[in-house]
Amino acid sequence: MKRDDTMAIQEALSAIVKSNVSADSQNWLESVIQSADQSNKISQAFVMVPRKTGKSVIQLNEAQKVSIAAAGISYISNWTIDRLCRVWLLSNLNAADQEKLYATVDRLFLSAEMSEAVALYSALPFLAHPEIWVKRCAEGIRSNIGSVLEAIMENNPYPSENLDDAAWNQLVLKAFFTEKDIRHIVGLDERANLELALTLIDYANERWAAGRKVHPQLWRLVGKFINAEIFEHLKVGLMHYDQIEQRAIALAVAQSDYQPAKDYIHTFPELKLALSEGNLNWDSF
Amino acid sequence: MCCSSSIERDKALMGEPEAFDISAVKGMKFFDPHVHMTSRTTDDYQAMADAGVVALIEPAFWLGQPRTGLDSFRDYYSSLIGWERFRSSQFGIKHYCTIGLNSREANNESLAEQVMEILPLFVYKEGVVGIGEIGFDDQTAAEEKYYRLQLELAKEAGLPIQVHTPHRDKKKGTQRSMDIALEHGLDPYSVIIDHNNEETVKEVLDRGFWAAFTIYPFTKMGNERMVEIVKQYGPERIMVNSAADWGISDPLAVPKTAALMKMRGLSDQDIELVTYRNAITAFAQSGQLDEADFNAQKNVDLTEKFEGNTILRGGQQPRTDKSSIIIS
Repeated sequence: MKRDDTMAIQEALSAIVKSNVSADSQNWLESVIQSADQSNKISQAFVMVPRKTGKSVIQLNEAQKVSIAAAGISYISNWTIDRLCRVWLLSNLNAADQEKLYATVDRLFLSAEMSEAVALYSALPFLAHPEIWVKRCAEGIRSNIGSVLEAIMENNPYPSENLDDAAWNQLVLKAFFTEKDIRHIVGLDERANLELALTLIDYANERWAAGRKVHPQLWRLVGKFINAEIFEHLKVGLMHYDQIEQRAIALAVAQSDYQPAKDYIHTFPELKLALSEGNLNWDSF
Repeated sequence: MCCSSSIERDKALMGEPEAFDISAVKGMKFFDPHVHMTSRTTDDYQAMADAGVVALIEPAFWLGQPRTGLDSFRDYYSSLIGWERFRSSQFGIKHYCTIGLNSREANNESLAEQVMEILPLFVYKEGVVGIGEIGFDDQTAAEEKYYRLQLELAKEAGLPIQVHTPHRDKKKGTQRSMDIALEHGLDPYSVIIDHNNEETVKEVLDRGFWAAFTIYPFTKMGNERMVEIVKQYGPERIMVNSAADWGISDPLAVPKTAALMKMRGLSDQDIELVTYRNAITAFAQSGQLDEADFNAQKNVDLTEKFEGNTILRGGQQPRTDKSSIIIS
């Protein structure tokens, strides 16, 4: 997220919080933000939020929809009010003292239950000093709690903007393992890399050896890197005659520059036809 | 271990649950060399004893969420050697453990440093048959650092090593674990590489390591696949375990796999090797495991206490009749 957007985002969040909580809760939130002992008060309030706000999914008016779209955070529209409120509280933490900010948030992470952890990871793109949360984000990927992983993996711009390749690749691989919605990973295509492609191919071979299917989106991350070696694995995949896997491989090949693979795909009449019709795309898998 | 699963999917893949028919392997003895009893119930101990499990190894692992302080590690290691060993003994099952810093938590370096300091206090204790389970999870530099340090500790202590191979990027993780063990001058015969599959088994065996297989629904090895692997590679240096833990897992995976092997025509001798004998041979290199102990364990006194505690909660009788429909 661009730093220039920070103000716009802050305003959009504040407006949505206000229109989704009662007058009492609004006053309570105001007093927390304005407290002299802000970081302690926000930490306490962070835990108490659901008692004050409930847990309904937020309601947005047209203007709010436009403002979050403009700020690039439309994905918050299906959040619950407690999650949004918690993220908003954290985004209000004083950013001037970096160490204090880190200590405050880190302490919340250490004692977080599931919904709190979801809110904390959802807050990463809204916190100042993005570089100081990298290790925490990588740690979150080690979680095996589905909702926590979803908060990191799906519709969260923080990982693709900040993680190094090793942690990023781990996120993508784990998303396949834990059956997350791959289409909702932000930055998926931009951060595709050879190392990840080779790892995913090993994973595909493992799945085949175990008699399991391979998620079609996996091939999306392989396309760009097809070479003679990868081509041999693709041939194995095509020979399984699973129509969905075949089509995904065909689409990956169509998006590559590796001519021998393109020629090979054309030896499958039905795949050649599907490609020429032009209606194969990654959203269809 | 892990992760997203649903009852619908369970049924689609596995059908309706069916009672396990133990008769095919009645009278055989089993050794489960990898099972996390801390996260299992006392009923599981009963069922395991009934199915012929006479001994097991509990590797130190993580609790499903990361520990935030050293004392949690200390208490956990103590429980593996203390309360859990006692609880197991109450069902006539000899309980051993391996002690180590698991790969996921190796990533918390400041805590990992402290854990490394207390490990020597635990690895020399009686009945600790190895350093484990250690190795890689997401294959970070920190994981490698603590894996190497623990290999050195194992060398110094003269203990076998139980290597956890990663769920993700398994083939590379397995190769790397073996390369590093060799680099530290360890004899592959003292290293048990766990959680193998069709893609890793050949290299593990070819390089002289022990190949352990975890029968675990959905994620690791299915027992039909296991039968095929033993048919293809033979029983030498192969062992089967359940790695049962807090996930959807089965503490009877070893006897069930033995039953399936029997039904699919494997010899009794081969079944005995992969579900009992090989694990004993491998872990007895610690000098801490003796088959004679299994029999000594058989004379169970359910009224014994551990530091004043008993597994029999207020007024319970030592054994319930599981074949009765009445639970009183």
